[in-house]
Amino acid sequence: MSNAKCAWLLCVAALLVSGAVTACGSSSAKVSNSADLQSAPDVSFKNLDGADVSLSSLKGKVVLVNFWATWCDPCRSEIPALIGLQDKFAGKGFTMLGVSMDDDGVKAVDPFVQTTKFNVGGQQRIMDYPIVLGTDAITDKFGGLLGMPTSYLISRDGKIVKKYIGVLDEQQVTKDIESQL
Amino acid sequence: MKMSLRIVTALTALAAICALGTRRVARAQESAMPQSAASVVKTKVYTSLDPVPRGKEFQVAVVVDIQNGYHMNSHKPFDSYLIPTTVTPQLPAGITLADTVYPPGKNLKFPFSPDKPLNVYTESVTLRLRLSVGDSAALGDAGIPITLRYQACNNSACLPPVKIPLTASVKIAAAGTKSKAMHPEIFAASSAK
Repeated sequence: MSNAKCAWLLCVAALLVSGAVTACGSSSAKVSNSADLQSAPDVSFKNLDGADVSLSSLKGKVVLVNFWATWCDPCRSEIPALIGLQDKFAGKGFTMLGVSMDDDGVKAVDPFVQTTKFNVGGQQRIMDYPIVLGTDAITDKFGGLLGMPTSYLISRDGKIVKKYIGVLDEQQVTKDIESQL
Repeated sequence: MKMSLRIVTALTALAAICALGTRRVARAQESAMPQSAASVVKTKVYTSLDPVPRGKEFQVAVVVDIQNGYHMNSHKPFDSYLIPTTVTPQLPAGITLADTVYPPGKNLKFPFSPDKPLNVYTESVTLRLRLSVGDSAALGDAGIPITLRYQACNNSACLPPVKIPLTASVKIAAAGTKSKAMHPEIFAASSAK
């Protein structure tokens, strides 16, 4: 075997190993990293007042898009943590964006948002971060929604950094947000 | 040179093993959530009599097998915001619904609700419709459309509510026709619950 051929084979093997090892240790069971950092879809939501809110209008901020529903207990269980994330990072260029998937839309969501209180660090708080209404067409643009809650962490330049299916690990998502700020 | 070749071979084998493992992990992660809400349950529909003579009562059982690791809200979940399991027939002329029998759910706690139990169905549940056939029911084979509605979750996430269309097959016979009890293992067992 020539030296050149041997060196080429070594390079290929090293690349294979580094790629495979990176993939092996990359994610926990419910979190997937977006390896190729896809752009977040260009979608527009209605907020609870009926006004349009486009995702692209939030460019420049780190956004945690959280698909949820009022009938979803796991979604409810993570709302105190989401309120806490908004408290902690809103002043640093971050925003939560709760996307309700309730079939009854604003009729079901508005009273819930206005009246349901959550224990956040001993205080009774309502969902005081931005809430919008989702549709199947919107979730299709995110690649489809298998279950709720499902969250997407979007970087300041509008790339999907991570996808989380199921209840968020607060420590993990805090770390992930900090890494983008 | 031979040593280099051995190193290349070993590194390539390691990469292949690790890549294979990664693919398996990825597949396991994908399989953690089903492709649709409908895929977490399997349903079978049974009728208690064959044929059903006019003037007689009979039952339809909807046996719902729930995928391991999932639960669905019972018919009477503790919180009003939760979507209950329901089974609703669209009755043909001459067939009337006497009652729908839902078994009680189990009180279970989940990681997302560690302090407060939820009233849920897991594993297998049998929902029964008690029906009667009037004199005006058309004779012969009939299909009774039934809609099963449920909303399922696992320990971490919920699937959207879904409506599954089912059909109960029944043969209506003239009053006084001899009929045979069908599936006593299902109807006797669910009557005892």
